[in-house]
Amino acid sequence: MLKYSLKRLASSVLTLCIIIVVVFVLLRQMPIEGYFDNYEKLDEFQIQVKLTQLGLNDPVLVQLKNFFVKLLHGDLGTSSRYSAGTPIATIIANKAPVSIYMGVWSMAISLIMGIPLGAAMARSKSGFWDKFGTAFIVFINAVPSAVYYIFIQTYGTEALGISMLFERENWVTWILPVFSLSLGSTASYAMWLRRYMVDEMNKDYVRLARAKGVSNKKIMMKHVFRNAFVPMIQYIPASLLYTICGSIYVESLYSVPGMGGLLVDVISRQDNPMVQALVVIYSGIGIVGLLLGDILMGVIDPRISFVKKEGAR
Amino acid sequence: MAGLFESKKRRLEDAMSEELKKQLDTELSANEDELFVLADYDASTAEKTGYSNYSYWGSTVRVFLKNRMAVLMLTVLALLLLFTFIQPMLPNQYGPNAITTNPATGIQLSNQAPRMTTVYHTLPAGVELFGEAIDGEWYSVSNVMMEIKARKNFLLTEYGEDWCRIEYDGKTGYVKNNFQTKLKLPEDPTAVPYECKSNFQLSVYTTPTDYSNDGEVFYTTLDSIEVIDGQNGLVVTKEGAQLRNIPSDKAFIFGTNNIGQDLWARVWSGTRTSLWIGFVVAFFEALIGIMVGILWGYVRQLDRLITEIYNVIDNIPNTIILILISYIMRPSISTLIFAMSLTRWLGMARFIRNQIVIIRDRDYNLASRCLGTSTTRIMIKNLLPYLVSVIMLRMALAIPNAIGSEVFITYIGLGLSVDTPSLGNLINEGRKLVTSASLRYQLIFPTVVLSIITIAFYIIGNSFADAADPKNHR
Repeated sequence: MLKYSLKRLASSVLTLCIIIVVVFVLLRQMPIEGYFDNYEKLDEFQIQVKLTQLGLNDPVLVQLKNFFVKLLHGDLGTSSRYSAGTPIATIIANKAPVSIYMGVWSMAISLIMGIPLGAAMARSKSGFWDKFGTAFIVFINAVPSAVYYIFIQTYGTEALGISMLFERENWVTWILPVFSLSLGSTASYAMWLRRYMVDEMNKDYVRLARAKGVSNKKIMMKHVFRNAFVPMIQYIPASLLYTICGSIYVESLYSVPGMGGLLVDVISRQDNPMVQALVVIYSGIGIVGLLLGDILMGVIDPRISFVKKEGAR
Repeated sequence: MAGLFESKKRRLEDAMSEELKKQLDTELSANEDELFVLADYDASTAEKTGYSNYSYWGSTVRVFLKNRMAVLMLTVLALLLLFTFIQPMLPNQYGPNAITTNPATGIQLSNQAPRMTTVYHTLPAGVELFGEAIDGEWYSVSNVMMEIKARKNFLLTEYGEDWCRIEYDGKTGYVKNNFQTKLKLPEDPTAVPYECKSNFQLSVYTTPTDYSNDGEVFYTTLDSIEVIDGQNGLVVTKEGAQLRNIPSDKAFIFGTNNIGQDLWARVWSGTRTSLWIGFVVAFFEALIGIMVGILWGYVRQLDRLITEIYNVIDNIPNTIILILISYIMRPSISTLIFAMSLTRWLGMARFIRNQIVIIRDRDYNLASRCLGTSTTRIMIKNLLPYLVSVIMLRMALAIPNAIGSEVFITYIGLGLSVDTPSLGNLINEGRKLVTSASLRYQLIFPTVVLSIITIAFYIIGNSFADAADPKNHR
């Protein structure tokens, strides 16, 4: 297990390095306006001085080396337009807590709603809950989230009689963003749990338990649910981390001062160093999520061995 | 249900053992010599085992048609797709970027609520109206010829319960006689003519009938009226004259946006754009996914390399790739297609690779290889048919997915410009107006069309995948 974890960690680090290199090289192709907060007012000489100062006139490989060295010291660079001169790490440190709270809450809610729904669907095959859940899942999966978020915001704020924008101190304004964020994961938890439970229910040990006269409720809780939940554990860290970095869409819709809204902001202001830093952070979070999922899976279910691994995950 | 199945199974088993027993009995009772007679080659018996009336596609279609919801969705989607392509060819359509103006004022017809062009009145010949030419073709007409200010004297020449004929400023017209106009009438109002006045402003009508419904102006063409008094003056209707609510026989079925563009035209044009993006992304997904997947699964030397590439790309959140590519490249349809295609093929390739690893060493493929079949032919004829169901599913899901991604990218501000209507930028434009309830139609129409398309593709894709899976064929 340890050997596997280390190997998996090494490959994750390698992947992250490749991603950073690619992102870095791609962003060098962007117009240089994105490094100045007052590009129009500067003459050619001043621009060159600033570029040299920022190290942007160095060969790409040198820049890359500098970037990695800084990164290892926890320095993500400084913002150029969004909040000129502020270290990016500081900006993110200010923004992250809201996203983390929101992510944890929405995760909790989606587990609370999704798992009972999935279990109810599996139990009442082609009954009410199954039909209701299927309709819900089809809706959430088929309709772009961008669309139903808007409607939740419009009609939700009207129904609750609150403003459309988020206020940190007012807990009522937390409800809609957190609820919106949790819908997607709720649907996917319900869908996967139902599928895994139905698979488990058709297995021989369940038939044996039934033949022995174990009550249906007990079979469901003690056998089917437990076994069906194992493959789902793999996805929980990844989805938690994704929600923590904030659904980009929900946060900017409600003007939540979190990390997701930040990405939209810096893109619209063409702040190259910040786009670069945020893309690296998001990729890093994604990689860590998958890594944790795989390791957690191995820890929880001893039957799974990773001796021969194929493909990803 | 389960009980029924169990008892059926038991009965079947009983019947089978009966059958076997009978067979055994006949064999045992037979003459020993007869049992070991050489069987001759019998062509018809050989045919019997070789023939099955099972056809893969036939069964797939049959199973699919059993799902009523999917068939309904398929019909809706087919009609919708057909309509999107027919719509520009229909008569009287605006261009998606054409800005409509009110010909009378030259002002853009902005934020017009959705309405059909309606013929409010069809008049007989000879009705006099007050008309004003607004352009070569259209006239605004009303039966109000002038207004009389409050407390002006005029001559009442004919008294009626509802209408009175008056003369004022050398012109003859009619005024309403009701509680609103409050005409100051003498004790015997029928003794005409007499001087009269009102405390309020009065509208003078050309005819004793209010066609214009309290001053709302109607529009009509030269086909319906005859001009008598030059550019601005009296007109007389022809037989069957039609008065319309908007200065056009074209309708704003979905209303107009804030610069007076017809939302109906824009929604269908946007649907075409979004579907085009969706179809092209689905096509590339299938093309790249199948090619890479087959190579990955079939050519052992490439396995390691492609697995590593897959791991790297798969580790980055898709959204981030999408955003990054759209940020770096100029916003256009091809940028969006490129950015989406960059990640979509991964899932398809991985699935196909896994299936091929399972199937490639089955006996019939070994046999095929021994007979000298080329690798290409083995791939196309032996392997691909196994993968049809999932390929179709993923292609069907690629379309709603691409449409959703387009909406998202537009929201971030990296999408198409508004000159190229797409469902994404229509929704984004509508979203900005969502705070005022009367303008919400600008968000609702594109979202409804989008939701119908995405839900239909999702349901059809899933039911087709179920139908294409041979396990569900009976």
